[in-house]
Amino acid sequence: MAIVPMKRVSVYGLKKDRKRILEALQRCGDFEVIDSGGENTEFEKIDTSASQGTFARAVASSESALDILKSYTDSDGSIFDSLKGRKEISPELYYKYVAESEEIMRVANRINILSKTISEQKAEIVKTEFQKESLSAWLELDAPMNFKGTKKTAAFIGTFPSGTARDWILEEYALKSAENKTEAPIDLAFINETSEQTAVMILCYKPHREAVEDILREMGFAYPNISFAAVPRAKAEELDGQIKNAKNIIADSEKEIASYKGMRNAIRFLADYYTMRLEKYKALSKVQNLKRTFFVTGYVPEYDAKNLEAVLTNKYNAAVEINDAGEDESPPVLLKNNGFSAPVETVIETYSMPGKGEIDPTTVMSFFYYILFGLMLGDFAYGMIMFLGCGAALLKFKNMETGMRKTLKMFMFCGISTAFWGIMFGSCFGDAVSVIGSTFFGVDIAFKPLWFEPIKNAMLMLMFSFGVGILHLFTGLFLKLYTCIKHGEYKDALFDVVFWYLLVGGGVAYLFSVDMFVDMSGLGWKMPPAGAEAAKWCAIVGAVGIVLTAGRSSKNPGKRLAKGLYELYGVTSYLSDILSYSRLLALGLATGVIAQVFNKIGSMGGRSVIGVIMFIIVFLIGHTVNLAINLLGAYVHTNRLQFVEFFGKFYEGGGRKYEPLTENTKYYKIKEDI
Amino acid sequence: MSLGMVFALAGAALAALMAGIGSAIGVGMAGEAAAGVVTEDPQKFGKVLILQLLPGTQGIYGLLIAFITLSQIGLLGGAPVNLTTAQGLAYFAACLPMAFVGLWSAIRQARAAVAGIQMVAKRPDQMGKGMIFAAMVETYAILALLISILAIFGIAA
Repeated sequence: MAIVPMKRVSVYGLKKDRKRILEALQRCGDFEVIDSGGENTEFEKIDTSASQGTFARAVASSESALDILKSYTDSDGSIFDSLKGRKEISPELYYKYVAESEEIMRVANRINILSKTISEQKAEIVKTEFQKESLSAWLELDAPMNFKGTKKTAAFIGTFPSGTARDWILEEYALKSAENKTEAPIDLAFINETSEQTAVMILCYKPHREAVEDILREMGFAYPNISFAAVPRAKAEELDGQIKNAKNIIADSEKEIASYKGMRNAIRFLADYYTMRLEKYKALSKVQNLKRTFFVTGYVPEYDAKNLEAVLTNKYNAAVEINDAGEDESPPVLLKNNGFSAPVETVIETYSMPGKGEIDPTTVMSFFYYILFGLMLGDFAYGMIMFLGCGAALLKFKNMETGMRKTLKMFMFCGISTAFWGIMFGSCFGDAVSVIGSTFFGVDIAFKPLWFEPIKNAMLMLMFSFGVGILHLFTGLFLKLYTCIKHGEYKDALFDVVFWYLLVGGGVAYLFSVDMFVDMSGLGWKMPPAGAEAAKWCAIVGAVGIVLTAGRSSKNPGKRLAKGLYELYGVTSYLSDILSYSRLLALGLATGVIAQVFNKIGSMGGRSVIGVIMFIIVFLIGHTVNLAINLLGAYVHTNRLQFVEFFGKFYEGGGRKYEPLTENTKYYKIKEDI
Repeated sequence: MSLGMVFALAGAALAALMAGIGSAIGVGMAGEAAAGVVTEDPQKFGKVLILQLLPGTQGIYGLLIAFITLSQIGLLGGAPVNLTTAQGLAYFAACLPMAFVGLWSAIRQARAAVAGIQMVAKRPDQMGKGMIFAAMVETYAILALLISILAIFGIAA
């Protein structure tokens, strides 16, 4: 249980060594650069935002090139990649890639351009196809689309509403021209009829043009919304050519992208390389410069400070000053715990790092975490699956990233606890042992519980859950007591912790002397009268103490009393906190009962070959689903009990995570001596 | 079959039915939001999937209550217990907390989960907190489950 003490370290050096020193700091990965000094000093800072922008773009461009490569070529990875961790890169390869970095960047950009071309051409094809579609009605027309007539004639190319018959047009035209008393004979060419329109071409003598147009308009004639100087069929062929062309471009681009498959590792390196440079330049912008010298300040874990000093002074000719972090500072938080507790650090990170003056709750929390998780899942077989699965992954992939390793370790320990509670409560794939025994072998065997079966004795399990809950809450209170005493706040320790212990502890103990509660709990144990009396007085002392002291920050006695009474009302929150632990029973039963449901469904085939096959299929699918759902449930609700009930008693968080200048790469690990 | 048996069966059916409907609505709502996030960034699939699943537990609790009821009244073992009408009504009442709270809490939890999913879209590192917000709602489903279980076991004893 420890928060690593931080030292404030300032490094002074000559400007010509600046790059090497920053790189050394980045490589050792134990130096969090801070922005020191105000604006109005002799020192100057370098504005690196332009370079940072360039590097960030280079990273983004490489990443998107990698994504594109992934979608156009076969993947070269497997689902276990995230477990494998980063590969170490050899110095030769490093220098080779650095030397080629411009060429690699060019390829990455080229891939992005090709991908853009492909999407543009795809859009082009859609557009052209649409144009072709609108041409389809006119394909039979053998004049250009914008044909207006010859020397002597005028031509009307256009449409009537759908369903207009050839004879109707002629008759209607004759009728209308008779009404208007115009003598203008026309020739009608029927081109095409679709459900949307009827396409026609009409010819007349040129002098009649306007008269004819008027009549046609009245009849519902409309000019088409496309117009060009070519015969529609020729135009359609031209569009086909365009589509073919676009398809060729796409095929070529895809081929070219696929040909860069071999560059994948180089592009990955490039992404890492620029990420590193980006980190470095961010640090550089916080360095204070004079004409020939510079200095940079940062936080270094205490255990590493001396070491760092030695390296920097001997190898890089720098001066190093190590100070304790000041009272008004809040240094970043780095947690350090043993192998058993460290895995739950990831859970604490999800909540918040310890704030200033707070203790690291990891060790205490880890015990409860594993126990609560095990209680909620509580099945021997599920626990063993988790334990063996995570254990095997941890053994097989030695190079795993720290975060992933911690998570797997956490589930491994949770698996052990789950298996343990499975033995206590007699659950192994639910009641699979007895179902298989009685269905297929006709024998009456069972996976006997070492303690009791929660489904047969739910009340006992409920009492046990509350018991675990009270222990958990009181441990949280104890940690508050510990913190108060550590800071020398003895009054607070008495008023805010001891009184609560008396009130809640006394209250719970007193319940065991109440007949109704004793009957309900089914424990068959009753507190002797003397004990009950003592418990009662403990609770009373606690309650009175809280009323009198909880409002101590106010001067006004009336206000103080009111605040105290309000604080006493907080006892209801203890009640709801304790009741909240009933989820241990509920989730534990859920796992067991759903497992039983699947076993029952599986065994419905009876004692036959088909029955066995059916059982195996239902068993595999059912228990996979059950494990997955309840694993999620147990994880979420264990976190909740820790965050809300446990942390609520003593922990606020609000610390900042330690984020040293480091090679924050994604694909490769870069060795120390490059 | 006695009238009591009909009531008990109706209770079991109601628990599975209403809690199941609630979860189906809830998981569906959260799934829509999750799909929206994944269109933007497929890498967040794992994270939003967990949040999507959270409102699914009520359906499981409903199943649990239905199953316990069915096994208590002997419908699963093939030897139905001879229930009086009063006993049957008691089972019916015992199933109600899970049925109603299951339905409503799943839908409300889904809304918290949808908000959590939207949070993950912008700040993936805060996913743990999004999960806790949704899990808060589930407390009440668990309390209802608890009362239903205790009541069912109580009737049998």
